[in-house]
Amino acid sequence: MSGESTVMPPRKLHDADVVYLYDGSFEGFLCCVFESFAQHEIPFAVWTPQRETATLYPVRDIETDSSRAQRVFSALGRKLGRETEYLVSRDFLSGQEDKELLLIRFLHLAFALGPGTVKRMGHPDVAPLYEMKKSLDWEVDKFQGFVRFEEHDGMLGAVIHPKNYILPLLRGHFCSRFPEENFMIYDAVHQAVLLYQEHKAQLLELAAPLELPPPSAREQEFQALWKQFYDTLEIKARHNEKGRMTHCPKRFWQDMVEMR
Amino acid sequence: MEQSLMDKLTILADSAKYDVACTSSGASHPAKRGTIGSCYAPGCCHAFTADGRCVSLLKVLMSNCCAFDCSYCVNRKSNDVPRATFSPRELAELTIEFYRRNYIEGLFLSSAVLGTPDYTTERMLTVLRLLRNEYHFGGYIHAKTIPGTSPELIQQMGYLADRLSVNVELPSEQSLHLLAPDKGRHSIFRPMKQISVAGEESRQELTLYRHAPKFAPAGQSTQMIVGASPETDYHILQLSEGMYQKYGLKRVFYSAYIPVSDDTRLPALDTKPPLLREHRLYQADWLLRFYQFKADEILDKDNQSFNPYLDPKCNWAVQHYGLFPVDVNRAPFEMLLRVPGIGPKSARRIRDARRLSSLGLDELKRMGVVLKRAQYFITCRGFSGAHPGRGSAGRERITRTLIDPNVFSAGAEQLSMFAPPAVDRLVEQGVPPRAAQRMVREEAVQCLARAL
Repeated sequence: MSGESTVMPPRKLHDADVVYLYDGSFEGFLCCVFESFAQHEIPFAVWTPQRETATLYPVRDIETDSSRAQRVFSALGRKLGRETEYLVSRDFLSGQEDKELLLIRFLHLAFALGPGTVKRMGHPDVAPLYEMKKSLDWEVDKFQGFVRFEEHDGMLGAVIHPKNYILPLLRGHFCSRFPEENFMIYDAVHQAVLLYQEHKAQLLELAAPLELPPPSAREQEFQALWKQFYDTLEIKARHNEKGRMTHCPKRFWQDMVEMR
Repeated sequence: MEQSLMDKLTILADSAKYDVACTSSGASHPAKRGTIGSCYAPGCCHAFTADGRCVSLLKVLMSNCCAFDCSYCVNRKSNDVPRATFSPRELAELTIEFYRRNYIEGLFLSSAVLGTPDYTTERMLTVLRLLRNEYHFGGYIHAKTIPGTSPELIQQMGYLADRLSVNVELPSEQSLHLLAPDKGRHSIFRPMKQISVAGEESRQELTLYRHAPKFAPAGQSTQMIVGASPETDYHILQLSEGMYQKYGLKRVFYSAYIPVSDDTRLPALDTKPPLLREHRLYQADWLLRFYQFKADEILDKDNQSFNPYLDPKCNWAVQHYGLFPVDVNRAPFEMLLRVPGIGPKSARRIRDARRLSSLGLDELKRMGVVLKRAQYFITCRGFSGAHPGRGSAGRERITRTLIDPNVFSAGAEQLSMFAPPAVDRLVEQGVPPRAAQRMVREEAVQCLARAL
């Protein structure tokens, strides 16, 4: 090095009093990660326009730049391994408020310690990721069973109210189940639709809420048969309301035809 | 008189509901183009009934018109109940329509003996062929073999269904002879053996030819009734272990006997189903399958029944208290599995994480170890095992944390589903449920502490 001290001493990772604001997309999030690493800082919070509230902290707009996002994503796979890449991209679908912050904290740790970091499940910065994944997997697992389709002119339609944004995770399951059907699953919480038509699946964001038409007579007949089957199955001598509630909490009931 | 589909469904679902198995696990494949229905290896529950059981398959009987007269069964010949029979087309169509609406994962087809076992099976085969060949249904099918069916038909069934099952029904030959005179021991174990052999052959063929037909890819299961006959828990568990080893069963299901007739050979009609016993059997069954336990370690000739107050794993730990505490950072995996409060998942997490850094209490807690129970059985970084205190007070503290909370989780009015017999007796004498529970619990704590 030359005598001039143009090279700054390495900056230490620190908590910064700043709020990141990004567009809510995965690419946008990767740009937040980029920013956080570039500035060696962990922001106070990461918000999307929907979650924006009044704050005294300065808000920094993080622009979505796909080349930056690509850089972060490829580093993720290359330096930290497939397992980390999978965990991070899956957890991003979680509905938890502070998921971005938890992920950023984890990534700082992981890039410092290397690809084995995902296995440190007891570490305070790693454990929350598994918590999120658990709640996400649980919900996906439940909805694979609890989605109820109704037939409208040959098209199957269903409405769900999930806490996490699980449509991308339901896509594989339902597309490989009904390859010859046309169906749609409407996520009323996140205003999105999974549409599968003529062997092609699409994820669409909706501007306005969607309303399914009332069921036809034939549809009502099958719903009645199913309800009857469901009610018949109970063994009265073993009644266990608590057991049912643990396996199928009330928040699912509004979309299940036999529970309404 | 023509029965409507609704009537038939009601009658035939009602007759089938005492069959416990309703799992859709073990087979995995996506639907091909032009077909409908996939299988998902972990299985999928589509609804939960008011008794907390999972509904995964359309579980119905083909027919409940039975030629046999097994005294423990609602569908026995001599019982006066409404009878119905599905036509194959009707049932296949119902399955497909339910499946399309994502109500079910597939079909669970069983039947009463309609005329002869072979005729019944032929009829069931018609349904399966319709589903597989005409509707191109690729979802899960669990078919029950009818005792006394000829081996050729069972073979055909295996190539159409994902899972087959043969019910053991009762845990010993004497009971079978007494209560189900039409079903001999051979009519049960012969098909079981045939299925296990055919499945093994098919798996070998599959390694050679990728497109070889699959014989019951999700294996076979069985079920038996607990509490209708005098066998002990030890006997039942030995039988299960034997079947797991000999026939490679995927599951053994246990069903607490619910009185259905006033036959003098059976428990009286007002007997409560032995739910606690069934619960303990499932816990022990889990220990056999996922915790590397042997049946002999769980129960032995001198202790033939389960401890009502401790789950089998805690019971083992209490009896082998001298082997503890174990060091979480060094103990072999098998030993980790035996610590109360550590399950297979957290044991695997510990095994992976301890390679990277030594573990302390905080890490264990975040990994999902239940420290309340584990604390007296482990040591780890910065923790040399909890000290319960000296003498009987200390021992009581340990047993208090181990005692099974499910057994004593009653409200003021109602007893727990798993209330032990001692509590039941006190309640019958007029003691309020809560007080009865507290009394029995205290007594159990002290009694267990003395044995520790």
